[in-house]
Amino acid sequence: MLEVKNLHKVYDGHGRRVTAVGDLTFSVPEGQFACVVGPSGCGKTTLLRVLAGLLPATSGEVRVQDAPVTAPPPGLAVVFQEYGRSLFPWLRVRENVELPLKAQGMARAERRKLAADALAAVALSDADSAYPWQLSGGMQQRVAIARAIAFQPKVLLMDEPFAAVDAQTRADLEDLVRSVWQRLGVTLLFVTHDIDEAVYLGQRVIVLSASPTTVAEDLTVDLPADRDQLTTRSDPRFTELRSQVYARIRKVKAPASEGAPA
Amino acid sequence: MRILWRILLAIGLPVVLVAGWWFDSAGSEDFYQPALSTIVDAFGRTWTWEMFQEQVFPSLWRLLAGYFLAVLLGVALGALIGLSRSSRQVLEPVLEFLRAFPPPVLVPIAILLAGIGDRTKILVIVFGCVWPVLLNTIEGVRARDEVLSDTCRTYRITGLLRLRHLVLRAASPQIVTGARQALPLAIILMVISEMMAANEGLGFTVLQFQRGFQIPEMWSGVLLLGLIGIVLSLLFRLAERSLLGWYHGQRAGQREF
Amino acid sequence: MVSVAARRPRVTGRRYRSVTLGALGLIGFGLVLEVAPRIGVVPIDFAPPTSQILVTLVEQLDQGSFWTALLRTLTTWASGLAIAVVAGAVIGVLLGSLPILRAATATTIEFLRPIPSVALIPLVIVLYGTTPRSTITLVVYAAFWQMLIQVMHGVADVDPVALDTARSFRLGPWAKVRYVVWPSALPYVMTGLRLAAAVALILTITGELVIGSPGLGKEIDTAQQSNEVRTVYALILVTGVLGVLINLVIRRGERALLSWHPANRAEKGAA
Repeated sequence: MLEVKNLHKVYDGHGRRVTAVGDLTFSVPEGQFACVVGPSGCGKTTLLRVLAGLLPATSGEVRVQDAPVTAPPPGLAVVFQEYGRSLFPWLRVRENVELPLKAQGMARAERRKLAADALAAVALSDADSAYPWQLSGGMQQRVAIARAIAFQPKVLLMDEPFAAVDAQTRADLEDLVRSVWQRLGVTLLFVTHDIDEAVYLGQRVIVLSASPTTVAEDLTVDLPADRDQLTTRSDPRFTELRSQVYARIRKVKAPASEGAPA
Repeated sequence: MRILWRILLAIGLPVVLVAGWWFDSAGSEDFYQPALSTIVDAFGRTWTWEMFQEQVFPSLWRLLAGYFLAVLLGVALGALIGLSRSSRQVLEPVLEFLRAFPPPVLVPIAILLAGIGDRTKILVIVFGCVWPVLLNTIEGVRARDEVLSDTCRTYRITGLLRLRHLVLRAASPQIVTGARQALPLAIILMVISEMMAANEGLGFTVLQFQRGFQIPEMWSGVLLLGLIGIVLSLLFRLAERSLLGWYHGQRAGQREF
Repeated sequence: MVSVAARRPRVTGRRYRSVTLGALGLIGFGLVLEVAPRIGVVPIDFAPPTSQILVTLVEQLDQGSFWTALLRTLTTWASGLAIAVVAGAVIGVLLGSLPILRAATATTIEFLRPIPSVALIPLVIVLYGTTPRSTITLVVYAAFWQMLIQVMHGVADVDPVALDTARSFRLGPWAKVRYVVWPSALPYVMTGLRLAAAVALILTITGELVIGSPGLGKEIDTAQQSNEVRTVYALILVTGVLGVLINLVIRRGERALLSWHPANRAEKGAA
């Protein structure tokens, strides 16, 4: 579904060359929930933007649904970290969710239904005629998620979506994302800096190294499919996995192993 | 009780000022500064319905026509220029140069080029008022939020929908600022062009009163001009509130920190 | 760690491009103005080509009357502006620091502010004739509001957190003003000054044009009435240059005084 081969991205500007991504290769099969973690500045966001077609790669190949990515691919939705800035403040919640569908030329009745269903899936049916800025941060992010759901994508990319949200709300949103994923069967790539979140949510955790970024480790999360904030997080296997990821990140942060894969 | 206090605060000072003027000027012998009562009296006598129809409405119509044309032109051009970085870079110095000219100088030029007439006056207002709108639109369109822009790209919101939402509505607070700056300019230009190059209209009439030494009538004209300024400003505020309700709501929410 | 290869700044490359494009724009514009009258797009008698305007301008510079008029305009502008700025600043600080005063004067300000100063033209003519004093009155009236609003907002909008911090460090009232209020309000004060200066120029020219008080505006009017077309344009060009210069000087001052300030200066309620 998602294929990244020897992705290399260099930023050229202000007199400096910054290698955001060194040499990245991995692929995500259809329907998988994969999390991407890494030290800060390791190009996680760059990777996501290239996958989303928002940024061209310097070299290497990126394919979504078997087609090379040159522009935002169809059937792919993105949930950004800055929910406040990704929702249109002059549109009501319902209209925000419907807008991409409107752009597709969908008929009003169908739009309404999809939007209503999506808002129900994120438990925001009551807020559909509010304006985004009237809602709390967590609720705004849920609107963004609802928008992605209504879009009926095959691939969902999420860029540290809960980084700007408080811890308790984050727990609710994490469970929401998992239930949405299970319901829709989308291929989900979830970028985060929170190791616990990555292990809790994903079927697989891809650990990136510091710049020049490569894949430092690729773990399968063999926790049960039914995850719960309390029980899963106190599961010894969870602790094992998370320590493994943490240790790996510690290693790739240290200068001695710069760029050295597992 | 609070409401009473609020009302008192709101009208207290104006009432005091007006009353002060009234009593201070009562029985005034000064030819040039008649009593307020005389002025009010003259107001009623002068600005009859016919007077309104003959002199005031044509002026207002020219003012509004010029103003709205300027806004339309300014927004359309501003959006075009703002969207293209190269046009911005090419045109920015030229526009900065042009906007530095004090708008009143347009009147002599207009008189030279087009003589005295309705069309001239509207043209003057358009050419004077387009600048704040144009420049503010360019600025507003340019400073698009990146995240919003990325959202539109990923969700493939393009074309007219994109123009309407991402470009224009996002820039609307800035555009409205431009329109707000242009309004007093429009009034100034209307009055000047009527005082310098007209044989009818509100500005012309008031100046004629001055020349004919009809002083109370002149004062009443000044008052009327002032009132028009106030009313137009109020109407603008109302329009702004409905257009930018979302913007004020959003900023109020952000301030809560 | 990020691998960085230092290189000669590419910034000049981008800047270079925008400067060249801008220069091209100006040149192109000048060319259009030069050519259009000659090919008859605009009547050459009433819209002379740039070269002729520039020649006339140079001739003007030779004439004593031009310099007298220019000086007059500048004096009128400066005196009107000075009065407006001082009054606006003083009253603005008063109103900005005392919410009760602000509330009491809010409606009065909202009523007086939108009154166009040009409405006062017939008034000042009867009161002060065609002396510069008439024009100065207009200038003061218009520029005062610009200054007042900005200063008022600047003082009122001082960050309450900063004030609390000052209080917890037990800064006296004077120290508070010096270290918290003044720097916080300064951007607004500069914006107010800039807006007031621009409005002052507009009203100065307006007064000279319409009332006939001595200055560039009057010269323009006289030239227009005697159909000295090129002089009209040449003088107008001078007013444009004046506008640019005033703006530049103030922006320079702004940048020098505010080099430390984050570029977050909104023009509060700029009218």
